[in-house]
Amino acid sequence: MLNLLKRLFAGDNNSSRKQANDRLRLVLTHDRTATSAQLMETLKEEIIEVISRHVEIEGNPEVTFINEGRRSALDINIPLKGR
Amino acid sequence: MGEQKEGAQVIVVTSGKGGVGKTTTVANVSTSLAKMGYKIAVMDLDIGLKKLDLILGLENRVIYDIVQLIEGECTLKQALVKDKRFPELSMLPAAQTRNKDEIQPEQVKEICEQMRADFDYIFIDCPAGIEQGFRNAIIAADKAIVVTNPEISAVRDADRIIGMLESAGFTDIMLVVNRIQSEMVKKGDMLSIEDLMEHLCIELLGVVPEDKRVLISTNKGEPIILNEHSIAATAFNNIAARLTGKEIEFPTFEENSFWNKIRNLGRNLFPNK
Repeated sequence: MLNLLKRLFAGDNNSSRKQANDRLRLVLTHDRTATSAQLMETLKEEIIEVISRHVEIEGNPEVTFINEGRRSALDINIPLKGR
Repeated sequence: MGEQKEGAQVIVVTSGKGGVGKTTTVANVSTSLAKMGYKIAVMDLDIGLKKLDLILGLENRVIYDIVQLIEGECTLKQALVKDKRFPELSMLPAAQTRNKDEIQPEQVKEICEQMRADFDYIFIDCPAGIEQGFRNAIIAADKAIVVTNPEISAVRDADRIIGMLESAGFTDIMLVVNRIQSEMVKKGDMLSIEDLMEHLCIELLGVVPEDKRVLISTNKGEPIILNEHSIAATAFNNIAARLTGKEIEFPTFEENSFWNKIRNLGRNLFPNK
């Protein structure tokens, strides 16, 4: 019943429309910035490597695209270990 | 491209992907404006794959084409085909037996400049693709209309075209979404207008619902805007009116209304219904 209510108010999470939106979001970001999923992986690894050379990283570092309108930016979130 | 020149506004209608309804949009928006009394010219730049003459039902009246005009075989006046049903509408036909590389952007620009003084709006029907034909079509335009369908490959191509138009200096780029089916959107099986706006981030000019009557009127060579029963006709007339600066509200696309939630509840309780 809880599941039903969730589906009712959140919309169907697995609808083909949602899948289309998710796929489009990704592909448009890569199209606009002339990047690929592969390049993102490389970027992420190298950024983390550079940072970890100087400071100690803790937890899960993240490097993702954020979009505002037709512009994209890299969102780099790297938690550092405290003393 | 921002500055307003003397005379006609030149509007290119483009999409990237073929088959989304560029020519249908050009034909119906231009006839709608001509019916309102504006002086309209339509220019078919899909050289080698012309369609506009057929969609407008003017294929038997074509004598000269744009390539012959450029090569000096006829005058502009001779090349323009007047529509007898809409005296304010003229069409400059594409050539069918040539190809897009045979004309240059500068030549298209020159023809447009010659035409500006005699018309209120000039519509350019752009070929699909991003090559020479696209460059020919955008060179003289002040504004652009991007036509797309609620379908991922069409949206991806539209996004690429918008990027190229922005790089070319266009600041006035408007979106027409063609062939939307609100029932499918409600069921979660089609991208909605809101989805498309989120992805493409440009001004919305029109939403044309799927309408079987469009094919029927194309078969006959009659613009759909003459059909009072057609929902697509209303949409094209609204687009034309918005271009003249009239504010016409969009129908609400919001699919999360109370009644839809109730309907969805029914669907979730009885998934096989």
